[in-house]
Amino acid sequence: MDYRANIRDFGMDTISLAGPLEAKLKAVREAGFSQIMLSARDVVGHPDGLDAAVAAVRASGLRVTGFQVLRDFEGLSGHLHDYKVDIAKSMLEMCSALGAKVLLVCSSTSVHATQEPQALARDLRKLAVLAIPMGIKVAYEGLSWGRHVNEFPQAWDIICRADMPNLGLGLDSFHMFATQTALDELDMLDPDKIFLVQLADFMWTEIKSVEERITTARHFRVFPGEGVHSADLAALVAKLHALGYRGDYSFEVFNDDYQQIPLPTVAARGWRSALWLAEDVLRRSVPLPNQMRLRR
Amino acid sequence: MTPADSTQREAITETLNPLGLDGIEFIEYATARPQALGQVLEMMGFKPVARHRSREVLLYRQGGINVIVNAHLPSAVGDAPDKPWLAAIALRVRDASAAYRRALERGAWAVPARVEVMELNIPAIHGVGASRIYFVDRYDQFSIYDVDFVPIPGVDPHPPAVAGLHFFGVVQYIGNERTADWTEFYRELLGFVELPAQQRFGILPKGRILQSPCPAATRFYIQLIEPEAGLLDVEDDEQLQRVGLGTGDVLGTVADLSRRGVEFVQSKAVQTEDRGALTRTWLGSVSFELVHDRRA
Repeated sequence: MDYRANIRDFGMDTISLAGPLEAKLKAVREAGFSQIMLSARDVVGHPDGLDAAVAAVRASGLRVTGFQVLRDFEGLSGHLHDYKVDIAKSMLEMCSALGAKVLLVCSSTSVHATQEPQALARDLRKLAVLAIPMGIKVAYEGLSWGRHVNEFPQAWDIICRADMPNLGLGLDSFHMFATQTALDELDMLDPDKIFLVQLADFMWTEIKSVEERITTARHFRVFPGEGVHSADLAALVAKLHALGYRGDYSFEVFNDDYQQIPLPTVAARGWRSALWLAEDVLRRSVPLPNQMRLRR
Repeated sequence: MTPADSTQREAITETLNPLGLDGIEFIEYATARPQALGQVLEMMGFKPVARHRSREVLLYRQGGINVIVNAHLPSAVGDAPDKPWLAAIALRVRDASAAYRRALERGAWAVPARVEVMELNIPAIHGVGASRIYFVDRYDQFSIYDVDFVPIPGVDPHPPAVAGLHFFGVVQYIGNERTADWTEFYRELLGFVELPAQQRFGILPKGRILQSPCPAATRFYIQLIEPEAGLLDVEDDEQLQRVGLGTGDVLGTVADLSRRGVEFVQSKAVQTEDRGALTRTWLGSVSFELVHDRRA
């Protein structure tokens, strides 16, 4: 355990790093993080198969922040719905095998999906029921280019309609800033129903089109504190803390440049970002050695 | 008043017992030591009445309580395969096929059927841990045991129950902060409702009690129990823990069973009373709870 700083609730995401899964786990661990967000691609694409990937994750000692990502799930009907339920089951099985307690679901971009809120809620409710026996929470995130749900207040509305204890919100700062959703909207959330917060900064001041939004999201994100939205990120994290959110923060940093520099260098950037948030923004002190964490 | 107003005001969306649930048909133990478990069951008043046609499976019975002992184990179940465990609950429903389809539509996991020729295909969904929930219908016209089981010669196929014992319920151990999840699971899939906290049965009042939507004569309960509050997270093992048997006269039943060799727990926390009693634990995992419950 690393006592250099109190950043246990901050983690990196494998999508920021190049190379094989084991190298990513090692780099994140050695940078001082205690958790990591995993993608299905990490484990499915492992050269020795899923079991070897699961074993590597378990052996790393890192806690799995969550597992991503189930796309275009809700709002479909007939054979498309049945197909997506099968995909969801595979995702849940991998999530469970990895010991991940959160499955991230992004709002649908599909032109085949209905916008009927009751139908979206019914599908997410079904997904949550599927996740119950495995002890998995479903975090529903409003993708900023989602077809009908593209801001977190809309996602929250669907979550409330679905009304399941293990269905909550996944917040991604990038999407919030891209759609310029007001921070005050966070006031209506129940902090216990925010299951995951993903943070990322980016270099452009403004994103004009949806196309530019998608490109930026997938290629040009940077760690919090590295872009031009640092003040907004600081305000967001402080606001969530004041609301009572005590869950995990994961750095959802898609960046093409980071894919071609050494893993320890990228992880060190992530570490600096976590330090900035923990010490400068949240003004935490260093924990005492052997401190035990009380269960809520 | 328009019809729409009247339905909204009373929120009548579906019947209270959507599956036509009508009690427990059987519970099933899986064990590598069927004879040792059989001795325990016989001490508790059960008699072996039939043998499965193709597998190492025995049916025990007293009164209306059927217990199946399954020694036909899939390879490597759990860490301690020598301990019997509660592997299934079979529920009586109006229409097994409809109940199964409804459960799948709402997010249950199907258990693939493994049926030999001329055996009944009893639909099942996954329950807690490795357990299953079966749906059985036509229990009033013929018995499922007539098809898959061969009666043991010279044995009364319908032995009377000791002191009118009947199924009362099942205790389920769940992980930390999982009460709401499992409450929704049983509500959504089977129509259970949660009892108010002050309504308690027996002598072990912990946790939350869910009431089946069955008619009074076949009603049973599921009691959800989280781990003892502790400083550190414990392993969140989840399983069906024990069976509760109802009796109109707990002390009389305890006396009857004691004469048969059954020992009851007498500790500071748990004692035999009018309200209930708890047997000792046999084979490392098998115990029965007696609960005061007068039933016609």
